[in-house]
Amino acid sequence: MARHVFQVNGQPREVDAPDDMPLLWVLRDLIGLTGTKFGCGEGGCGACTVLVDGAAAQSCQVSVADVHGSDVTTIEGLSVTGDHPLQRSWMAEDVPQCGYCQAGQIMGAAALLAKSPRPSDADIDAAMAGHVCRCGTYVRIRAAIHRAAEEVRS
Amino acid sequence: MSGDVSRRDVLRGVAGLHLAGILGPFDRVLGFVTPGMRAEFGGGASTATTAADAAASPDAIAQDAGAALSQWVTVGADGVVAITVHKGDLGQGVRTGLAMIVAEELDADWSSVTVVQAPADGAYGNQGVGGSGSTTGSYTMLRNVGAAARLMLVETAAARWGIPAARCRTERGIVRSDDGREATYAALAVDAAKRTPPAADAVQLKNPSAFTLIGQPRPRVDNADVVTGRAQYALDPQRPGTRYAVISKSPFVGGRLRSFDDAAARAVPGVIDVVNLGSGVAVVGEHTWAALKGRAALDIEWDDRGNAALSTDSIMAAKAAALPEPAALDAPGARIVTSTLDLPFLAHATMEPMTCMAEVAGDRVTVWVGTQSPDSARRAAAQAAGVAEANATVHVMLMGGGFGRRGGTEWVREAVTLSKRLGAPIKLLYPRDEDMRTDNFRPASHHRLRGAVDGMGKIIAWQHHVASGGSGNGPNSGLAGQARPNYTVAGIDAQGFGVADPVSVGAWRSVSSSQLNPANEVLMDMLAAAAGQDPLAFRLANLTNNRLRGVLQLAAEKADWGRSLPPRHGRGIAACAGWGSYVAQVCELEVLGDGRVKVHRVVAAVDCGQAVNPLSVQAQIQGASVDGLSTALGAGITIDGGRVQERTFTDYVWFRMADTPSIEVHVVTGKSSSPGGIGEVGYPAMPAAVMNAVYAATGVRVTRLPIQPGDLVAAGAPTAEPTRSSTAVPTMAPTTAPTEVPPTAPPTAAPPRPTDGPDGTTSTVFLPFGGTGRP
Repeated sequence: MARHVFQVNGQPREVDAPDDMPLLWVLRDLIGLTGTKFGCGEGGCGACTVLVDGAAAQSCQVSVADVHGSDVTTIEGLSVTGDHPLQRSWMAEDVPQCGYCQAGQIMGAAALLAKSPRPSDADIDAAMAGHVCRCGTYVRIRAAIHRAAEEVRS
Repeated sequence: MSGDVSRRDVLRGVAGLHLAGILGPFDRVLGFVTPGMRAEFGGGASTATTAADAAASPDAIAQDAGAALSQWVTVGADGVVAITVHKGDLGQGVRTGLAMIVAEELDADWSSVTVVQAPADGAYGNQGVGGSGSTTGSYTMLRNVGAAARLMLVETAAARWGIPAARCRTERGIVRSDDGREATYAALAVDAAKRTPPAADAVQLKNPSAFTLIGQPRPRVDNADVVTGRAQYALDPQRPGTRYAVISKSPFVGGRLRSFDDAAARAVPGVIDVVNLGSGVAVVGEHTWAALKGRAALDIEWDDRGNAALSTDSIMAAKAAALPEPAALDAPGARIVTSTLDLPFLAHATMEPMTCMAEVAGDRVTVWVGTQSPDSARRAAAQAAGVAEANATVHVMLMGGGFGRRGGTEWVREAVTLSKRLGAPIKLLYPRDEDMRTDNFRPASHHRLRGAVDGMGKIIAWQHHVASGGSGNGPNSGLAGQARPNYTVAGIDAQGFGVADPVSVGAWRSVSSSQLNPANEVLMDMLAAAAGQDPLAFRLANLTNNRLRGVLQLAAEKADWGRSLPPRHGRGIAACAGWGSYVAQVCELEVLGDGRVKVHRVVAAVDCGQAVNPLSVQAQIQGASVDGLSTALGAGITIDGGRVQERTFTDYVWFRMADTPSIEVHVVTGKSSSPGGIGEVGYPAMPAAVMNAVYAATGVRVTRLPIQPGDLVAAGAPTAEPTRSSTAVPTMAPTTAPTEVPPTAPPTAAPPRPTDGPDGTTSTVFLPFGGTGRP
């Protein structure tokens, strides 16, 4: 057990947690940010994806010690008013079915757009390879990523 | 409650969503809601009551925020119309679609509608979700609900104005008289709520031609919550003092606990308790991580109960052995086709594993759970808590997928038992491997397929014998009924043979249709080949149902059926009729030199009668198509050494972004004015379309799913061309450069021209998602 200091969605946070405690459970159980979801717990599905210092990370595979001093962004903090281009495009394309994986999908897509503002289909395939959507919303996810990229460009 | 809550949350409180207990944390989560949004959403209402309270005492509620016209409809002073939805949403979109049905007949302004989720409560009738029945089974009832509330508002206005109700009409939340007076629903609601609800026969429903909402695409009401992380699933509510539990169950099929040593688990910092629940050993911690580490530290001895030698091979051999030797086909001069098909166990593998939050306090129990069966969850919670059912509250939460799995209640019992024991709210989570191996699998099955066509290409014998889980043998068994094809065939011999599965089995999207329809559609393809006919033309020549004909023709037309493809590429077609709906899918794929299959394109046509929300219809068919592709080409549950071998998404392989082709869905507007079910009908044809496309590409008939690359190589699929690297697989639809049909492919006749549409009407095609987005 140790004290860990980092930022979540722009706010400083201090938690007492075992060094090896995955960020996922720190967010959900200690901080109460439940928008980040558990899917498999071993980095195989992408449901728990967040941004750590701007890069996509599976929060079940990152320990709280790893993020010491880092800046973590969760779905709750992707935008102030829920109007990030991806959040808008996700709604415009009516992407969610059960919705459970979508926070992770959106965070993965956000990391992609941050580094590739004009992603090709192949870029999307590569960036989203770690994500499973059991409802099979991939067609709409792809459309939503393209739509958001277009909106940012124009 | 803070004012910083969204409009929907306000209404949840007002109309009594019983969510008072979870509104607290919203303050923190929604700390970013701006003053502007607050104004827009008109927040500030604070009455948290039950729906029953609201219905019983409309005046009291009206003073604060709304008047309940019935247990389903509350109209707020701000004009917000709260519509209660009695079914849980597991991704099929009922929270949107069912509310649309009420809003249509109510003539509510959709932009002012908010959706309230009913708790488990018999007052709402059948709350079960399954059998694609949520919309079909509620359609007329909910139209009546909306029309009754509308009539109460109209009669209130008419009484105020001293005119007959017949001189009033309604439009988007306003009652207007024929002499120009108007009143908003908000202004009428308090008085309207005092009226006696009209008798069912006093209510007049709209002519469907007057619909302005039903049939229009509407995005999900939950989208804004989902994309901001506010959406509430079972483990998302916050209660003070919550403890976190995970569970360990037998890794052996049918096994049970023999003994365990929990010393090491209890020594893990943060572990609070280890509990033998009978169904498994639960570890409770201060947070999920402690519980998970404690679970890993458990030393458990399991009793395999004699199942240690059980394997997929032994199970499938037993099924094959259950089929009697068929009589010879009496078909002189006929061309006979014969094959077998093995289908595997399938896990539901919902994205959210089994979860439940429970809080036992005194003689009350409260449960937060995503459930397809709220009434059984409530019973289970009451029993486990040892309280009266009236004292059990079940909040029906959003479900991270269901597909049939969430009709169960085991996790409810377990969470409630733990909460009672620890005297604290419990969040119970099934770790992924536990969720997968303790699933109630779609049964595995062995199919023997035989058929014959005469010299004229007419089907003269059709034999489908299936061994699967279930009970009853022979031509009158339940399986046999569904083993009958969608087509008109002579000489049908459909028989089912129930073989008890050693693993736990249950309902999985489309249930036994997921097994029987693919087998039938493969047999149909084999007969077409034997007759020397195009698979589409052959189907059309052997059916009488015009709606089935319509979807086959439309899917084929949109999929460029008959256009030539490069070598080792093929198109397959298949159809499914069921739940009052019809779907046809065309799959275009490529068999690579190493036997792997790359799917390039799926085109689906669906006729579900009255589509309530075409966006949801399309989503369901897209999703079911991905299920069909995934289970044809990747996912299957196997048993070895008495243990389920698959643990998670890396070995129970579902399609991901790069695997998923363009999936176009064309929705037909047919003549049927009633809605058909849509959750399941998109699955059963898809695996068959894949198998038939593999045949078209290679001449190889698939005999088991999921297709293994080695199966196709061993069966003699053409090997790689030197000119094409198997690693350079295009993810887009292939170019249309005409190329010769490979010699191994079946003869392809020119397809018939599609007619205008089913039943002779013009088919309306909208929103064809191209799938691959913009360039």
